[in-house]
Amino acid sequence: MARRRRDFWWTVTVLGFLSVLAFLVYPLGTVFVTSFTGEEKRFVLADNYHRFLTHRYYYSSLINSLYLSALATLGALLVGTTLAFAVARYPLPGKTFLRTAANLALLSPPFIGAYSWVVLFGRMGLVNRALGTIGWGLPTIYGWRGILLVFIVQYFPFVFLLVSAALRSVDQSIEDAALSLGSPPRRTFTTAILPVIAPSLTAGALLVFMATMADFGTPMIIGEGLRTLPTLMYGEFINELGGNPAMASTLGSFLILVNSAALMAQRYYAFRRAYNVVCIQPLRVQRAGGVRLMVLTLFAYGVVAVALIPSLTIIISSFMPTRGPVMYAGFSLQSYRTIFHLVPRAIANTFLLTALAVVLDVLLGVLVAYLLARRRSRAHALLDGLIMLAYAIPGTVVGVGLIVVFNRPPIILTGTWVILLVSYFIRHLPYPVRSCTAMLQQIDLRVEEASVSLGVPPFRTFLKVTLPLMFPAILSGAALAWMTTIGELSSSILLYSGPWATMSVAIFTEVFSNHFGTASALASILIAAAFVPLFLTYRMLGERAALGM
Amino acid sequence: MTRIRVEGIVKRFGDTPAINGVSLDVRPGELFTLVGPSGCGKTTLLRIIAGLLEQDAGHILFNEDRMDDVPPYLRNIGVVFQNYAIFPHLTVGENIAYGLKARRVPSERIAAKVAEAARLVQLEGLVDRMPAQLSGGQQQRVVLARALTIEPRLLLMDEPLSNLDAKLRVQIRSLIRQLQRELRITTIYVTHDQEEALAISDTIAVMDRGRVLQIGRPWELYLTPAGRFVADFIGTMNVLRGTVTGPGPAPGEVIAAMAFGERWSVPGAGGSGQPVSVGVRPESLQLAPGPGPENSWQPLTGTVSEVVYLGSVVRYQLQVADALQVTAEIHNPDFSALHGVGERLRLWVAASRLVPLPEEGGAG
Repeated sequence: MARRRRDFWWTVTVLGFLSVLAFLVYPLGTVFVTSFTGEEKRFVLADNYHRFLTHRYYYSSLINSLYLSALATLGALLVGTTLAFAVARYPLPGKTFLRTAANLALLSPPFIGAYSWVVLFGRMGLVNRALGTIGWGLPTIYGWRGILLVFIVQYFPFVFLLVSAALRSVDQSIEDAALSLGSPPRRTFTTAILPVIAPSLTAGALLVFMATMADFGTPMIIGEGLRTLPTLMYGEFINELGGNPAMASTLGSFLILVNSAALMAQRYYAFRRAYNVVCIQPLRVQRAGGVRLMVLTLFAYGVVAVALIPSLTIIISSFMPTRGPVMYAGFSLQSYRTIFHLVPRAIANTFLLTALAVVLDVLLGVLVAYLLARRRSRAHALLDGLIMLAYAIPGTVVGVGLIVVFNRPPIILTGTWVILLVSYFIRHLPYPVRSCTAMLQQIDLRVEEASVSLGVPPFRTFLKVTLPLMFPAILSGAALAWMTTIGELSSSILLYSGPWATMSVAIFTEVFSNHFGTASALASILIAAAFVPLFLTYRMLGERAALGM
Repeated sequence: MTRIRVEGIVKRFGDTPAINGVSLDVRPGELFTLVGPSGCGKTTLLRIIAGLLEQDAGHILFNEDRMDDVPPYLRNIGVVFQNYAIFPHLTVGENIAYGLKARRVPSERIAAKVAEAARLVQLEGLVDRMPAQLSGGQQQRVVLARALTIEPRLLLMDEPLSNLDAKLRVQIRSLIRQLQRELRITTIYVTHDQEEALAISDTIAVMDRGRVLQIGRPWELYLTPAGRFVADFIGTMNVLRGTVTGPGPAPGEVIAAMAFGERWSVPGAGGSGQPVSVGVRPESLQLAPGPGPENSWQPLTGTVSEVVYLGSVVRYQLQVADALQVTAEIHNPDFSALHGVGERLRLWVAASRLVPLPEEGGAG
């Protein structure tokens, strides 16, 4: 059995490595190398880094990014954890609604959230204009405050989901034991419950931090010139006066560095603190006094309302008559007529490319997950690490890397749809890989051995026994990959060309041309398209399985 | 019926040998048990026989067929795992039919064989259920039926009862034994439970640290253990030490001055001054000498340090000497057999029930 043969699984290993090396490691490596080149593509040691560190124009982007991400992470932690505790431990009314609504907030891509706040509170915003007519001036949403608001609203569900799941795994006996040993409630929380959920808490924080560091669309739309690493990187690369790939690469290297460091720090922390807890009886819902309960209820519904505002705004505004950025009360299908007339190609492109990428992700992801879980070798551990790298690397960096690598012989992909597909495929491969590996760890190896001993060879056993048992994980991995791919902006905006624009790109350009009506209509379609597969998975598998990442 | 031969199997994990040269000869149709503490290599050996692991050295033979290079799916073996390994996405009937379908048996034949297997393991009427709807005992019977329907050359069972509660364990144990006898399938059974091993086996091999220490009938292991480890692992054994003072009344016996002060005649050899060890099972000790010549009963005196009353048995811990505790079990005790902590008791054992133990019992 253990004999090495060049069998099917050997081919899968090679395919996995080829994909990751060609589409991730090679481009990122090239970005890193490019950051050390000068004007004539000579190798200049740290020239760009010197410029970065001495010019406020450049280094301020790093400071802004770190500052915003740190604050956003803190805010998301506060909001997400409080909401998770309120829902798990207090008798709030309508808990199912609260949970569902928090999940729904993850659906719309962040730059659409940013845009929706502009629709409401921008210079021509619905609320600002309404208040303006009665003589109230309201500060606009632009700038770092707006970015922070969008970040927190957009990303607190990560923390909420992970902490909620962790709380479900804490057994009531842990709390009872601490209390019975004479520990007062507050100390019980910090010494008995917090340590058990700490790995999930930090995992949530990491997701928020990495996502906000990488977010390109939000600061672009609502930042009004505020430079962050991704926006400046984009600006340096796509510059009307001739791009500066070397400087863009330097900025990209900082992004890679910061996110990888955050990832490793969390892994190191959580690895040493992962407890195996067996939960037989989950934490009890506590009785709470009227005032406390009311405050918590108000808080929970307030958060959820703010989280749902973006999607609702988009959908409602897509049915309003508009002229430029100004929307009028009334009902009209004008915006939808316009988009189907103007950008039908973008809609078709998006569905086609997303579907293709998800199919490829699932095909390779399922097979690779099987290797990682069942035939783990040192090579496979490396492959695992490389695939997870895609989580940490911002789309802008992947985009720049792919362009630099694939716009020269022997393989020229720039200007084609293939380069978009490559980016979607490699960036979202971790979703099915993660969900399937987690599932395989729960499927007893003996079940497969039983099948083999009953006369079914290993590969047919994989098809007849393992695959059917993995089905829920395949489905949820596919739904997550679909959901995150369909609204992808940060690499699409760099990689698209002419006829291969996607909906996210179209929305982005419509927003910048002040065509808010068409932007809303496109965004509504996007939100619906992200929602449907997740909803179906939900219905088939239940909440926990669907988001069991 | 298949004769199984295991010849000089060696298996290492890294540098540690898990199996260190094991040879077995399993007679056709018998139930052969591998018993030993956890980590002794019994499950590893089972997986090598099944073909799920590859040995580093040695051979596996089914009758005259060498199986070393035969992949597990061609060995025609039924395996029953500790944690059932039931296919959760298939019904009971589909689980039982699984191996038959792989053999491309026609579907009418499959239906008949599934029904027959379900009857054998007393699961009639449950064939359309999903495994999640079954109890642990029922699941284990599905797995048993699944392994039996393929009419395997060999049935392998890896601690099949350890996930069941005590009552079910006895029930399924006798079902396994009954089916195995009826179908005359050569079976290798792995357990760490010596009582289970004694109850179910035709032959037992006791394993420790990757080696086989003794192979024999259940009563042979119990009555004449080859060494201290087997004596202790199969049942409980009091080990008593002494020094030879002279030849005994019969050949093969010596008179020994025991460490607790009595002079006993014990099985053994060797001249004066040699150390000697004998084993005494707790139930061999009794409160009065039995029939037969007085000098065939050896006495022992100690102070009761613990009493466990179990109804049919009363178990005493006796402090016999400074560093010597002896366990005694008095069966069917009446009031006169009941004593309290602190009482001094004089117990007797028949010379014929003394078990010779090789001094400082390494393996045989």
